[in-house]
Amino acid sequence: MVTKLKILLIEDDMIEIMKLNRTISKLELNHEIIEANNGEEALQILEKKDSLPDIILLDLNMPKINGIEFLNILKNNDVLKYIPTVILTTSNNQKDLLECYKIGVAGYVIKPLKYEDYVSKIDKLLAYWSINELIKV
Amino acid sequence: MSQDQVEILQRALKREKAARKAAEKILEEKSRELYFTSQKLEQLLDEKSSQLQGVFENIIDAYVVMDLQGNIIKFNEAATKLFGFDIERESVNVINLIYKEDYEYAITSFMQLQSNGYFKDYEARVYTKSKEVKWVHINASVIFDKDKNPVAAQGIVRDITEFKNLEIQKEKLLSKLEKSNDELQEYAHIVSHDLKSPLRSIHALVSWLKEDNINSLDKASLKNIELIELTLEKMEQLITDVLNYSSVGSDTSLREEIDLNGLVSQLVSILYVPENIEIKSLNILPNITGDKTKLQQLFQNLISNAIKFIDKEKGTIIIDVEDVNSHYKFSIKDNGIGIEKQFHEKIFKIFHSLKKSKDSTGIGLSIVKKIVNLHEGEIWLDSEPNVGTTFYFTLKK
Amino acid sequence: MKGIVFTEFLELVEDKFGLEMVDNIISSSNLESNGIYTAVGTYSFSEMLQLLEHLSKNTGISIDNLLLVYAEHFFSVIENSYPGLLATYKDPIEMISSIENHIHVEVRKIYPDAELPTFEVIEKTDNNLIMVYKSSRAMHHFGLGLMNKTFEHFNSTATIELEKIKEDGTEVRFVINKN
Repeated sequence: MVTKLKILLIEDDMIEIMKLNRTISKLELNHEIIEANNGEEALQILEKKDSLPDIILLDLNMPKINGIEFLNILKNNDVLKYIPTVILTTSNNQKDLLECYKIGVAGYVIKPLKYEDYVSKIDKLLAYWSINELIKV
Repeated sequence: MSQDQVEILQRALKREKAARKAAEKILEEKSRELYFTSQKLEQLLDEKSSQLQGVFENIIDAYVVMDLQGNIIKFNEAATKLFGFDIERESVNVINLIYKEDYEYAITSFMQLQSNGYFKDYEARVYTKSKEVKWVHINASVIFDKDKNPVAAQGIVRDITEFKNLEIQKEKLLSKLEKSNDELQEYAHIVSHDLKSPLRSIHALVSWLKEDNINSLDKASLKNIELIELTLEKMEQLITDVLNYSSVGSDTSLREEIDLNGLVSQLVSILYVPENIEIKSLNILPNITGDKTKLQQLFQNLISNAIKFIDKEKGTIIIDVEDVNSHYKFSIKDNGIGIEKQFHEKIFKIFHSLKKSKDSTGIGLSIVKKIVNLHEGEIWLDSEPNVGTTFYFTLKK
Repeated sequence: MKGIVFTEFLELVEDKFGLEMVDNIISSSNLESNGIYTAVGTYSFSEMLQLLEHLSKNTGISIDNLLLVYAEHFFSVIENSYPGLLATYKDPIEMISSIENHIHVEVRKIYPDAELPTFEVIEKTDNNLIMVYKSSRAMHHFGLGLMNKTFEHFNSTATIELEKIKEDGTEVRFVINKN
């Protein structure tokens, strides 16, 4: 059975947010997207324990709390650490890649240049997580 | 007393007298000899003392003699100049010259001097009279009297302050350089990210324009949109290449034993090679010490270059290696379009692509050159237009 | 040969056999020195040989035995003149075995032109010592006498056997067993 996912997108770039929204509607997927423009906003959203997201899509380059700092906070929290977090970034910096997997991520996806490639990657990503059993609090 | 006995006694007496005279003569000779000998000895002593005095005065390094309690007995001129004390007028103990942080080291060395009779290559700081701190190098030994009892210690002290300062400065510079290299690397990543993001956005926006207006756009507009997309792709490739180029220089290189034969055959299997092109190695490639990712980049760039520029119906790329003492000389030969002589130097310079094309930004060969240089090698080529090109490069074993 | 060997020898002869005997052996020998000896002088060994031969002829005592007695007398000369040398040793075997390496070295410091025999140590334990004496003078019994006295000096005794390696006595093995 395909699950309807509650996706928390943490992204400061307006067009990137538009891209994900447009991709979801274009693919006619039934997922719910919660937007957070930065880490702080995301943490506020995550405080409501009764409506936690199923997965988190996290951009690494953000103002204030950056992606890796945010990831650390997440993984040190006894409840939030179970939410699969997929990195969605431009950076193929080896150092970042290693660091993310060390802290613990559920995936690391490079944002492609071409919009068509992006749609295809998001399609596969969400399809994968839709068929996974997720921890519901 | 018989006549015989008297005569015997007389003879004995005569002998005794003669013996005494002989003895006296010998003694006199001996004492004269002794006198001359002692004169000679004195001369020799004078000579040796004067030699020693000369050494003592002329030696460039400081020469210090101290008693067993550490009181300075002698300073040569260099020592006086180095420490600033006039030991004729003031008494100085070495303990007071030791820089406080080096105290333990000094005591250890002093104990070594006592037990072994010497120490060598002591390097530490000392105070001068004006409380200035200087770095010194000291070799010291114990002076013994004729019964082998220690009576004093002597040391040759060399002022190495300037040398040490340079060394410290060098270390500082190196760590600074390392830091700024890291920063630059980090900076390159951020810049490339910041440059790529807007490209992605433009691409998305253009796609939407096209998607949303697919029925109202004419053929020319669609073509232009396609050109925008191509330009964006080229722009992105350029940013990627610049980032790669700046990463090659950073000395975060790993040095490990690399099996080039395995590396290249794996590379050939994942590269896109058109069916009309054959790639073959004439010899088994060796193992060398280097950075795996960079060496992969090196072979990949050269092989895909060769593939890219083959215009013949049947293409061949031949990889070979030759042992040249401290290095291996590699060659990658193709039967492509060739490169005119006048460009042989230029093509290794950044942004110098000969053929402006979608998949050539002009950075590939400058990266190749940088990687070869990092492995203490050289790169050059042989080429004839329309016949083919052979790239040669050496890598340190 | 050092003059002290002659003066001490003649003194011993006078002591044991009288001044007449001294006069006799000097007169009957053909001596370059005319029998005039001083302890600090140096004289030819052949003079000692002649004196010994004549003394042996006149007394009927063999040259070896004369040398033995003389050596025993000579040891006291060493004892009186160089007590420091003897004091460095605590054991006779120790002292005898170091003739070559120590005692003769010191002797040469005082008499650079002294002609000394060699004593090579062949075997050495705490109580046994085998040495080979070599000298053109063949005065091995002089050595034997000194050795006897050395043991006496340290209040000890020993059995010392001599085996001639060369018939003329210029090379002799000393086998010393401390009792």
